[in-house]
Amino acid sequence: MKSISLYTDNGSWLVKLHPFTKLFYLLAVILIPLIAGHLYMFGLTILISTLSLLSAGMLKKALPLIAFSFTILLTIFIIQGIFYKGNVSVLLSLGPVSFYKEGLLYSSQIGLNVLNMLLSFAILVLSTSPSELVEELEKKGFSTKFGYILNSVFQIIPEMMGTMHTISDAQRSRGMETEGKLITRIKAFIPLISPVVMSALTSTRERAIALEVRGFGAKVRKTYLYSHPYTATDQIIKWISLLSIVIVIALRVMHIF
Amino acid sequence: MGKLFKTTFSTAVIVLIPACIGINYIGKLFAQALKLPLWLDSIGTCIGAILGGPVIGGICGAANNLIYGFTTGDNITLIYALTSLFIGISVGVMARLGFMNSLPKALITACIGGLAAVIVSTPLNIIYWGGTTGNLWGDAVFAASQANNMPIWIGSLFDELVVDIPDKLITVIIVYFIVSRLPKKLTTLYDANSVVESLD
Repeated sequence: MKSISLYTDNGSWLVKLHPFTKLFYLLAVILIPLIAGHLYMFGLTILISTLSLLSAGMLKKALPLIAFSFTILLTIFIIQGIFYKGNVSVLLSLGPVSFYKEGLLYSSQIGLNVLNMLLSFAILVLSTSPSELVEELEKKGFSTKFGYILNSVFQIIPEMMGTMHTISDAQRSRGMETEGKLITRIKAFIPLISPVVMSALTSTRERAIALEVRGFGAKVRKTYLYSHPYTATDQIIKWISLLSIVIVIALRVMHIF
Repeated sequence: MGKLFKTTFSTAVIVLIPACIGINYIGKLFAQALKLPLWLDSIGTCIGAILGGPVIGGICGAANNLIYGFTTGDNITLIYALTSLFIGISVGVMARLGFMNSLPKALITACIGGLAAVIVSTPLNIIYWGGTTGNLWGDAVFAASQANNMPIWIGSLFDELVVDIPDKLITVIIVYFIVSRLPKKLTTLYDANSVVESLD
């Protein structure tokens, strides 16, 4: 069964970091360029994230994530480049359409922001096991019921994908058309989705009973088998992240930026 | 009205939430596999909202986007957690008011859910994307409105409207047929307003 999580344990330094450290880093990297309000700050944070991914050997896996939003970014560049409200100075003309400097600057700000967020998220997503993150959060007092919701999504989805394939095959063998005109495809959606949904809902009853038998509703504190080590590197990254946010805010308030 | 937002957090309801999130995901996958120009990624949220009430619907919606945002690295969905939250709440409230009892009423629910999505998404689209939605049909409308010198928010509103209303209509019709055919022994598990009667 294929997991939806992109996490793989490749033993690199990013995997060894504590999940919370990566959360602090994420916060800093996303907030700093937005507070500073300069395009080159995006460049700086993007560079840091890229270098971290590269040193951990994860850059290759981060590329599909970026490619995914590339088409959306491209549309933004085209639409804002041509139609942006503040457009005054023409940068280049391609036949009847002309791209304006203001629109392109505006869309590059959007694009860089998205790229920055994607890369920093890639660090968290590619190097952190979701269940480990949830467990660490639970230790800090996060609701265990909500923790269960998060963890079980990762078990349920591969299971449902399995059912989805079975049902697609079954319906196709009965002669259902899944290609062709839009109306044919919309019609095909209903016999595909409803058996999956029905089976998912009916199985919740059994799952609820199974969980209650194992003491899910118990009011006692949970104990944990595994504890993620919190090293000196974690401390350093955490404090650098927090301090740099404070510094950027201070610089911004004092109008140095 | 006091019962409108009543929620029980029984084990059955807790288990319902991940199932609904899974359904959202499957709906989106099927829509992509059939190359439909719609998202259809709120089927689970609507089911959760109808079975468990507005609070559960809201949790399903928000948790859905948060989980995908944090695990698949697709942080674009992250900010739309707010949209999903309001879809869940509005559909849940409508269902509690009895607007899921017949198909025509369900269509009104769909429009309300769609409008909630439009109202919340439009500012997000403007702030985050400068007005586009990333959907082919919607963005064509946006480009046309910008070419005619309309304000960004009107263009963005239309952009969202063109996609969201048909999307929610189809979603709610599917949900209506599924929920109305669910066995009673299952739906009573989630009903927050049910009372246990003693035979003694």
